[in-house]
Amino acid sequence: MKVEYVNPFITAAFSVIETALNIKAEKGPLAMRPCVFTSQQCNIITGVTGMVEGQAIYGMSLITADRIASQMLGQQIRTFDQLAASAIAELGNMITGNAMALLSEAGYICDITPPSIVRGTNVKISTLNIPALVVPICLGLGEIELTVSLQQRS
Amino acid sequence: MPKRVLITDDALFMRITLKNILTKGGYEVVGEAANGKESVDLYLQIKPDLVTMDITMPEMDGITAVREIKKRDPSANIIMCTAMGQKNMVMEAVAAGAKDFIVKPFQPDKVLEAVQKLIG
Repeated sequence: MKVEYVNPFITAAFSVIETALNIKAEKGPLAMRPCVFTSQQCNIITGVTGMVEGQAIYGMSLITADRIASQMLGQQIRTFDQLAASAIAELGNMITGNAMALLSEAGYICDITPPSIVRGTNVKISTLNIPALVVPICLGLGEIELTVSLQQRS
Repeated sequence: MPKRVLITDDALFMRITLKNILTKGGYEVVGEAANGKESVDLYLQIKPDLVTMDITMPEMDGITAVREIKKRDPSANIIMCTAMGQKNMVMEAVAAGAKDFIVKPFQPDKVLEAVQKLIG
């Protein structure tokens, strides 16, 4: 797992969060995990296929998910319904999609898969044994834990 | 008579966002499709003036849907509206027959500007 794979996601996350949520984000310290594992309550999973493959996961607490969905929808949500889930999923889709443009500039042409949401804690997601890089993205509404686990296609 | 638009996106949130933008801009949203296949079917049924098309969708992706629509109606006005902004995607979409390309997240003005440029 190369660090150069994660930088496009950090850049894309900052830019998408600023445009879609109208909030400035800050990056926390980078950490490494031996495999894809998340202890967050709400996780948006996006797949990457092509010259590099794997997953990018955006994990957050249920409270943060509610706050982000409310901000995106322009109104306070009462329950985390299909529309709120769709808003959160779209945020992950936009960050991964924008990261693909940056990865392609670095020479890695890739595609993404539609996002899915997993709610629950202590989830081990991947069957691929690729180490993951984890970066906390701090915003006023809470923290998004970005987990990127990619490897060059053999 | 307002110009008629068909929205294609697998995300409910994005369909609602686009519908709000287009309706406020004076367009009539005559259909909403959640994947490429639905979009092709709806296009043939309702013959809209313009289609907005996402790329990453289940069942049939947006670029395949553009090809299918253009095969049946070479004059179709289709704008790609996607998070995938890399050069190869833009080129593939344009080669398939898309007339414009908007990268998400977008500002409402950008969407209306692109739509207006194509259908007034």
